[in-house]
Amino acid sequence: MNANIPELTHRAVDDLLIDTEPYLSCDDCFERIDRYVEQLLADPAHDDPEMAAHLAGCGVCADEAQAMQELLRQDA
Amino acid sequence: MTTAEQESADVRTPTAGATAAEDDTWWTHLGEDGPEGGLALTRLHELLVRASRHQVWRLRGLLPGADADQIDDLAQQAADDALMSVLRKLPTFEGRSRFTTWAYKFAVLQAGVTVRSQAWRDREVPLPDSVALPDAGPSPAQMSEATQLARAVRDAIATELTPHQRRVVLALVVEGVPIDVLADRLGSSRNALYKALHDARQRLRQALVVNGYLDESPSRSTS
Repeated sequence: MNANIPELTHRAVDDLLIDTEPYLSCDDCFERIDRYVEQLLADPAHDDPEMAAHLAGCGVCADEAQAMQELLRQDA
Repeated sequence: MTTAEQESADVRTPTAGATAAEDDTWWTHLGEDGPEGGLALTRLHELLVRASRHQVWRLRGLLPGADADQIDDLAQQAADDALMSVLRKLPTFEGRSRFTTWAYKFAVLQAGVTVRSQAWRDREVPLPDSVALPDAGPSPAQMSEATQLARAVRDAIATELTPHQRRVVLALVVEGVPIDVLADRLGSSRNALYKALHDARQRLRQALVVNGYLDESPSRSTS
């Protein structure tokens, strides 16, 4: 095997097959993320399909949402 | 309490004004020339430092050689950058969340960008255009199912994606390059790369539906 060719791990396969519809851009996610994390903390069952799909498919945005939730929990 | 939580808690109490419960409107003085404007600016900076420090400490695993002072310097740098962003965007704040939550997102964003940029500063960003199959699973059944799926995905990557989508997908998902780092190296944007990834995922899913590996509807989301 060519050492420069990366391996397609099973985790990567799962990641590649995430359904990220309905589409939401990173910028739009950023616009909405403050209200979204507040709503999610107020109601863990809060449903926002666009945000949920984006956060499932964008690790960096998901990490930011997690960090914000932690900060808000500390504020509570 | 973790180190990150302790660090965060240490700077939680505002020193330049009342607590949030006592005064939810302190931020309305931002931009004023008088003492209230100065206090508001100091208070905003404090909360941005707190949020930035929290995120930098969360991501400290990306900076294995950094000591506490270096990590805190990054947090301060990110908070300073976030302060400029918040002040620039202040006219757009519509009150759909608490002001503090709104401000946090700028610090969290900037802290993440700062840490990832630092972590990849001296690293080459891999841009492969092909991918190898994984090792077989531990049992014959797993080997069959997982390997067939991986083979179908690999083939779809090769045949269904544009060269640009293929490069973006393999760098982001297979090589684990952070999206903002890749955007910086390619002279692109986080938005543009996420759109390419989104479109590529749809093409891959559609190909696997056609080939009978996926059902038409629900997501296989696992992360």
